[in-house]
Amino acid sequence: VVEGLALLDLGISPYSGAVFHETPLIIYLFHFLIEYAELVFMITDVLTAVALYLAIQDFNKVVFKKQKLLIELDKYAPDVAELIRTPMEMHYIPLKVALFYLLNPYTVMSCVAKSTCAINNTVTAFFILATIKGSAFLSAVFLALATYQSLYPLTLFAPALLYLLQRQFIPIKLKSKSFWLYTMQYTSLYLCSLVVIICLSFFLLNSWDFIPSVYGFILSVPDLTPNIGLFWYFFAEMFEHFSLFFVCVFQINVFFYTIPLAIKLKEHPVFFMFVQIAIISIFKSYPTVGDIALYMAFLPVWSHLYRCKFFVFV
Amino acid sequence: FQDQAEQFFRSGHTNNWAVLVCTSRFWFNYRHVANTLSVYRSVKRLGIPDSHIVLMLADDMACNPRNPKPATVFSHKNMELNVYGDDVEVDYRSYEVTVENFLRVLTGRIPPSTPRSKRLLSDDRSNILIYMTGHGGNGFLKFQDSEEITNVELADAFEQMWQKRRYNELLFIIDTCQGASMYERFYSPNIMALASSQVGEDSLSHQPDLGIGVHLMDRYTFYVLEFLEEIHPASQTNMNDLFQVCPKSLCVSTPGHRTDLFQRDPQNVLITDFFGSVRKVEITAETISLDRDVAGFESKLPKDELATEPLKYAEQLPVAQIIHQKPKQKDWHPPGGFILGLWALIIMVFFKTYGIKHMKHIF
Repeated sequence: VVEGLALLDLGISPYSGAVFHETPLIIYLFHFLIEYAELVFMITDVLTAVALYLAIQDFNKVVFKKQKLLIELDKYAPDVAELIRTPMEMHYIPLKVALFYLLNPYTVMSCVAKSTCAINNTVTAFFILATIKGSAFLSAVFLALATYQSLYPLTLFAPALLYLLQRQFIPIKLKSKSFWLYTMQYTSLYLCSLVVIICLSFFLLNSWDFIPSVYGFILSVPDLTPNIGLFWYFFAEMFEHFSLFFVCVFQINVFFYTIPLAIKLKEHPVFFMFVQIAIISIFKSYPTVGDIALYMAFLPVWSHLYRCKFFVFV
Repeated sequence: FQDQAEQFFRSGHTNNWAVLVCTSRFWFNYRHVANTLSVYRSVKRLGIPDSHIVLMLADDMACNPRNPKPATVFSHKNMELNVYGDDVEVDYRSYEVTVENFLRVLTGRIPPSTPRSKRLLSDDRSNILIYMTGHGGNGFLKFQDSEEITNVELADAFEQMWQKRRYNELLFIIDTCQGASMYERFYSPNIMALASSQVGEDSLSHQPDLGIGVHLMDRYTFYVLEFLEEIHPASQTNMNDLFQVCPKSLCVSTPGHRTDLFQRDPQNVLITDFFGSVRKVEITAETISLDRDVAGFESKLPKDELATEPLKYAEQLPVAQIIHQKPKQKDWHPPGGFILGLWALIIMVFFKTYGIKHMKHIF
């Protein structure tokens, strides 16, 4: 970011060097706040934690309501008594989530390193907050922002849609009209905000060259410096002839799990969201430890399932 | 004596150096080593001593296990001419022939521990012959199968030599495929360049020897060697004859040359100015006083050479640009339209969600 801003001060486009791959809104943000960069990253981490806290608080209320309904309808089997959650044990879960995020060494590391992943995490956390609160408009706006920042939160569109549909009590049947109506509304909100944000970024620098630098970079993976992801090791050894094919395969791999998970987990969209965030942070083209911190923060929400844990996910 | 003394000052150089480089290794590139050794032989025969020759051979053909005639490198088939002989002094051998070492030799930036035989100790009155052979392409020459030198790097190295006063005149000969691309980028004065083929053409090899099993020489260097065999230290053959060596009928590729950077007319440049180290020594018991006329040789030169002013070193350095002031940096500001649009959007979103009337119902 510093290099991008320095290039701007010299009068040339920051995307002309091969180092700067951030979106124009980051340029705008840091143009004024570059002096206080440490403060900015601390504040973003705090904001993320607060957003997660509020989101999980609301989520717990929803879970309670659902649980109460199902108990009254006698839908639970008798030996599930252990798994039924009580307000007492769930009282501290939002705090635990916020603390899991803030005290996670990965979060501390990405804050000290001043990695812009912290900003991505903040936007994603706000998106989750908006979704759980039920506001389709805000959720679409934040999802558009998150997609604009790094391409992969696009996959979070499905769990958000499922959650909002359930909240509006619209049955998820392919023939139902209200389902399609709501989906169309949400999709159009999302696409419109995305288009508006991209056009706005065009006006920052009066050029479209942020698109190949940001999205072309994420999709075509030209830089193979070792990181904690999967892409660089494969592509460093690959013949040029096959690199296009494998880039497509690897990118599809990230987006592919959405559909089966949507079918399987349509009753539990927040869990779906959690799994999707985990998949993004593993399979994205340039992951950082900050992405891992985000999904690890969600683990206390399902702490009651630890007794049934056969497979280690973390 | 006055007239003969005048001849001393005709070409402006006082010593000769040669840098002969063969850049390919492996047995099937025998011909590149043979090329370089045959030029070495001619240059030594015409008077340049080993101390003034930097010979770089990337592989050892004479002692190669595949050589059926060990300790020999032949340049004519039927083993007519052994260019290896007893007194070949190779300065950079085998893996020491790298782009870095070559450029260090040219520019003189050598670590203090380098022996004298590996240095190009030329000064501003040296005429240097640089001969390179190997595999090349459009704009590059391959060294040792693992790296390349580009024509831009070579041109910059020659410019460094010029600025450090390391040559008086330079003759650059290259025998590779698309060799003419290597001299396209030269921009320093007093360089004459010859190449065996133009861009887009391949340089072909001359004749295989069935006893040894490889091609022995490249065509261009073969015919240059034949041409040089007829030169002796006192011959007056000039560069124009060298340009005629190996026409397309014999060479299949079109040799090229470049003389626009050279200040003298090639007609007046002797072959021995570069290929030989000519010392005109006349022993006499009389004292001769050299008056102003002889020292001021410029006036005796034909008129067209006066037209181009001899370039002085000091004027080469653009001092004004070196200590120029950095342009004042204008700070970039985001355009006003962007700020307006962004904040308008944010306020719109805010009011949509927290609308004054709908605040309670949304959340």
